[in-house]
Amino acid sequence: MSQTDIRAELQRAAPEPLLPVEKKLIGFSLGIGLVLLVVLAVINYFVPATF
Amino acid sequence: MSAIETASPRASWSASDTAPRISEDWLSVIIGLVIFVLALAVLANVDLIGWVVTTSVWSNFGQALGTASKTYAPLGGAGALLATYAALLAVLSAAAIALKADVRKFALAFTAVFWIAYASWVVGSYASFAAVTPAELQKFGISWSLRLTNEGGFIFALLAGLIIANVFPRFAETIKEAVRPELYIKIAIVILGGFFAVTAAGKLNLATSLLLRGIAAIIEAYLIYWAVVYFVARKWFGFNREWAAPLASGISICGVSAAIATGAAIRARPIIPVLVSSLVVIFAVVEVLILPFLAQTFLWQEPLVAGAWIGLAVKTDGAAVAGGGITESLILAKSAAEGVTYQPGWILGTTATVKVFIDIFIGIWAFVLGYIWTNHINVTSDKARIAEIWQRFPKFILGFVVTFLVGLYLALGTPADVASKVPAAIGEANTFRVIFFILTFFSIGVLSNFKKLWEEGIGKLAAVYVISLFGFVIWVGLIISWLFFSGIKPPLAG
Repeated sequence: MSQTDIRAELQRAAPEPLLPVEKKLIGFSLGIGLVLLVVLAVINYFVPATF
Repeated sequence: MSAIETASPRASWSASDTAPRISEDWLSVIIGLVIFVLALAVLANVDLIGWVVTTSVWSNFGQALGTASKTYAPLGGAGALLATYAALLAVLSAAAIALKADVRKFALAFTAVFWIAYASWVVGSYASFAAVTPAELQKFGISWSLRLTNEGGFIFALLAGLIIANVFPRFAETIKEAVRPELYIKIAIVILGGFFAVTAAGKLNLATSLLLRGIAAIIEAYLIYWAVVYFVARKWFGFNREWAAPLASGISICGVSAAIATGAAIRARPIIPVLVSSLVVIFAVVEVLILPFLAQTFLWQEPLVAGAWIGLAVKTDGAAVAGGGITESLILAKSAAEGVTYQPGWILGTTATVKVFIDIFIGIWAFVLGYIWTNHINVTSDKARIAEIWQRFPKFILGFVVTFLVGLYLALGTPADVASKVPAAIGEANTFRVIFFILTFFSIGVLSNFKKLWEEGIGKLAAVYVISLFGFVIWVGLIISWLFFSGIKPPLAG
């Protein structure tokens, strides 16, 4: 693919709506990530770093 | 995992169309382990690699270079430099043969890469750039210095590479065979495992605490960064899935490796991860030139927050780990000026830990994406296979783990007379680690041709990168680093 092709493709790419499976991927990733971070933060609070 | 040189036609081994005998990942493990094992000969009172060149802060050039070990002091600085060049040329040329590259072209290119990169390092060690403490200024008879420490030489190597890429692009093309940032940094990371082990051995509880906190980095990179960047790319910028997935992985996980792994997993055209990888390298350069100095200014009282932040914010292993090295030297210098002298190795170790933890899961994440894509989005007979997890696992991490465990055993599990020699032995290997860092910085610079990238028409990709990186990734990385690493200080030296 030439540079011109890439530029044109990026400028003229037809929009692809978010599929339900993509929405699930984003939602589950964020949800699980935030929950796990809270869990780790709680563990971090009650089990502080030892020196 | 393949990396930028695999991705970029500019930097690929070009001599042969046949597949290499061994992957670059495994080569980095072998070379790193060979250096590590040779260094350990010191434990048997045999100094095999003490001739490697080391550079001190200097005002008189005659005193700049020396050997890592006093055993080889008669060799002198120039002799050490020549010996180091010859040894690296031989080893890396053998690597080029294993990769079925044109070894003659490689040898010539590596000669240029080595001498320019090391010259930049030596310039960066000049007292007016590198001296830090009032005692050093007095020692060198100067009243002012940039206070970059001698590891500011990494910045000089990067700038030398940038100048070549953007002012002398034909020369950059000429030396492309030896412009191998990912190979160099992977070798360095394998050696770093041993160095980190010796550092950690003195404070095992603290090291364990750092490792546990590395888990937070995995969650952040894969589950939070990726989802947000993918959403921004798809919803706000209208990228299709084939572009958005590698872009999200490149920006949020581990730059080049992740973009390529994701591109392959979702069966994207190869050009897409190549372009994303180019973008990742460019932004990593910008970050390495800015973030360590911000960390020194604002985070010097929280050194490990700074180390973790660099590991989370700077994409590509090379730029992140090397950026951790600069951050460490800058913060140690600032702390020393304030009367607090920390043990070296902890900030860099934190950056490397964060990065290695993130790297481990690239294969798994790529498999998850590949499974979703090939089963639910672009349903195809070429389904994602579980074996792809191992195929995409960054093997150099195995080398890091091996040198870390061996180093830890030698430091803690051997009689005192053996254990007391371990720091000196690892120190010799670590001198090679610094040289591979220098080669990494220079190579990253050479790959960063801003004009060429712009001509490729990826301004829209860059816009996603700018918004995600500076509007989200850096700040969330800072918050998470603060949440998990604040209040944890490196041990004091001495």
